[in-house]
Amino acid sequence: MVTTENGSGENKDELLQRIELMETMIAEGRRSTVRNGWIFVLWGSLYFAAVGWELFLPFRNWAWPVCMGAGVVITIVVRVRQRRTAGGTVNMQSRSIMAVWRMMGTAVSLFAFTGILTHHAGGTMYMAAILFFIGLAHATSAMILRWRVQGAVAAIWWVGGMAIFFANRWQESLAIFLTASFFGMILFGLYAMMLERRREAVQKHA
Amino acid sequence: MPEELPELDPIIHGKLRLAVLSLLAGVEAADFTWLRQRTGSTDGNLGAQMLKLEEAGYVAMEKKFAGRKPQTLYRMTPAGREALAQYVAALKRLLGGAL
Repeated sequence: MVTTENGSGENKDELLQRIELMETMIAEGRRSTVRNGWIFVLWGSLYFAAVGWELFLPFRNWAWPVCMGAGVVITIVVRVRQRRTAGGTVNMQSRSIMAVWRMMGTAVSLFAFTGILTHHAGGTMYMAAILFFIGLAHATSAMILRWRVQGAVAAIWWVGGMAIFFANRWQESLAIFLTASFFGMILFGLYAMMLERRREAVQKHA
Repeated sequence: MPEELPELDPIIHGKLRLAVLSLLAGVEAADFTWLRQRTGSTDGNLGAQMLKLEEAGYVAMEKKFAGRKPQTLYRMTPAGREALAQYVAALKRLLGGAL
């Protein structure tokens, strides 16, 4: 055991430095270092790509399965690479958010797959349900993170879901979906990426 | 009779080991790469200090695979949390009014 003088001078300074070190490291450990913004940009862009393929390219039945499959593969590959280079932590918050998005993805995949298989895909209820699923994931994540911006994004998806019920033509439903994708995925993702970069810059200069 | 001065646990008192334990106090688990980046240490130094913490029973190590690459995950044990709490209490007593 180390016995330290309870006096002034170097020992006291050293002990104070230890406390400062602990405070810094505890705060550092709690600070999220995960980069997630790009995932929203990627998936929002893939929604646009899938719609574009479906409207203008051949083999339109393959548009959604291929684009969504590519999204899953790209997300997993980039995540594994990020983990290799920057490492990572496990905590309750990150596990909760990961669980929300994974389960949302699983639910939408099963829903979409069954819809396509039974020729129910593309209807009003079908489209609206997908928007509500995505809004639900955003809202849950916003509550976990206590992040109002993401709460507003959830509202965009839910309002979009409600608006689809008032759409008269499928083109209108598609326009609502693409609007929600742009604001609720691409723009939100870019905003999150900007915050992540700013936070990293602050950490480097701290 | 003057109050006897508390003793500081030498395992925890090392700067790098204290930094690692403090980092692990804020998370459930962390991998080696993350700990190395946050502490700014080298592989060799961090590995040696982690071994000391492991031998003292303050951290537990788990080997996993992320894809095909092995990953070393560390988490703080209940004994580690208790030791860190005692270390903080001892520091407070030593510093007295300085805090």
